[in-house]
Amino acid sequence: MQIISGARTDVGRVRKNNEDSYRTDADLHLYVLSDGMGGEASGEVASALAVETVIEHCRLAAKNPGLELVGERKEELSDATNRLASALRSANQTIFETASGNTDQKGMGATIVAAWLNERRLSIAHVGDSRIYMLRAGSFDQITADHSLVADLVRSGIMTPQQAEVSEQQSILTRALGTKAKVEVDADEQLLLEGDTILLCSDGLTRMVTDPEIASILETNPDPQKAADRLVELANENGGHDNVTVIVVHLAPEARGLWATLRRWFGGDS
Amino acid sequence: MARLLLKFESEVVKEVPLSSRPVTIGRAPDNDIPIDNLAVSNYHARVYSEAGCLVIEDLDSLNGTFVNEMRVERATLKDGDSIAVGKHHILVDQAHDTALPLDAFHKAPVPKVQETMVLDTKQQRDLMQSVAAMGERSQIAPGRVRVPTLVVLAGRTDRKEYVLTDRLTVIGKSNLASIKLRGWFAPAMAAQIHKHDDGYFLGRGDRIPRINGEPISHPTRLSDGDLIEVGRVRLNFLYRD
Repeated sequence: MQIISGARTDVGRVRKNNEDSYRTDADLHLYVLSDGMGGEASGEVASALAVETVIEHCRLAAKNPGLELVGERKEELSDATNRLASALRSANQTIFETASGNTDQKGMGATIVAAWLNERRLSIAHVGDSRIYMLRAGSFDQITADHSLVADLVRSGIMTPQQAEVSEQQSILTRALGTKAKVEVDADEQLLLEGDTILLCSDGLTRMVTDPEIASILETNPDPQKAADRLVELANENGGHDNVTVIVVHLAPEARGLWATLRRWFGGDS
Repeated sequence: MARLLLKFESEVVKEVPLSSRPVTIGRAPDNDIPIDNLAVSNYHARVYSEAGCLVIEDLDSLNGTFVNEMRVERATLKDGDSIAVGKHHILVDQAHDTALPLDAFHKAPVPKVQETMVLDTKQQRDLMQSVAAMGERSQIAPGRVRVPTLVVLAGRTDRKEYVLTDRLTVIGKSNLASIKLRGWFAPAMAAQIHKHDDGYFLGRGDRIPRINGEPISHPTRLSDGDLIEVGRVRLNFLYRD
């Protein structure tokens, strides 16, 4: 199986600054995206700190598995998923401490979504309303639960999903990185199958492009970079009200046939 | 309009619209939903709305009231919940419902928000807590912890029985698998079981597993007693007391 990915970020058609950030590590198969907030340029600072800290924490842990976890280990999750959650908590500390030491950046914060593939086990972790979706055999599902006021109201049956989509309170988060000394991180894991596509995105995509439109773009563009470009284009065509960032990861089937098999046997690319 | 659908073996046998009046369930004929079955107590449970939420309360029934396989004394209900009383199921249907008005929320002075912000004022936090409290499911069943267990009925595995404790349980030969299959031709990652807030879901891996003889088309929630087949292995899913 071959893991291929593509990513793109854009300021959109309305905002002056792009407060979104993303980083990927192709060797670790680690993908991280963050949407910053705060006055002046501090949103950009927060999201950049968030993605850097997560990547750095996981890289250090890859070299030194004994690296101490930030926060408590959850027994029901694998080592990798616990590590990823730890990386997000570390990012929270970094942003919070930076903001506390600098009056211009007081109150800055960020959402974060992270996906990490180890063999075929996908670890995910998130805080805020950026999302991860999975496309598998034609069904397209969000696999994170937004930490926002409207999402909580939908979950408790007080608001319908349709009302949530047009609510004026969509931008109120119930959790974010960097706004408090400690944060609760949601983490989960699952087994991926050949052909699966994973999408990480900021709300600038999901508020401008419907789920069926996103699914159709992912299905018709097997090249993740082309899919990422097309998603951002469509968000802008539909108004581009916010910064938009996407990372697309695809588990492409291994090339089959005699030649591919021989190449694998004799130590070619695999 | 929200309603309750009484089902017996997948047939809808009765439909009860919900109003402000409580709906009672039990064996006695004067219940709103009478169920003529010895496993059902005379006055078994009732459903009513409280603070904008739908609530079910067990009336000290002998055999218990279950919401999505969990025994409850009192629990809030949401669309799609399945209430088990004896051998009958009652489905909560709020699909065509407009959202329940929650005065506390609509009266809360929440400004129109352009920029993203994090909920921080005391008032909004209180609001969230009241919402969270209503969404919470009270599972008060002292002394009754139900342990999700897989018992191996046939096939070659490393153990005869597995207690599901992890978020993700992989069935296969791979080193990621915690239910280890044996044999030369056993698949590396045959299937997966995923723990959610509302139960355990069986999903495909390199094989499409069957539940009670039927191949699954999407991740499917396991019910007590389900028979799972993956390749040559047969497993029985049980909630043990």
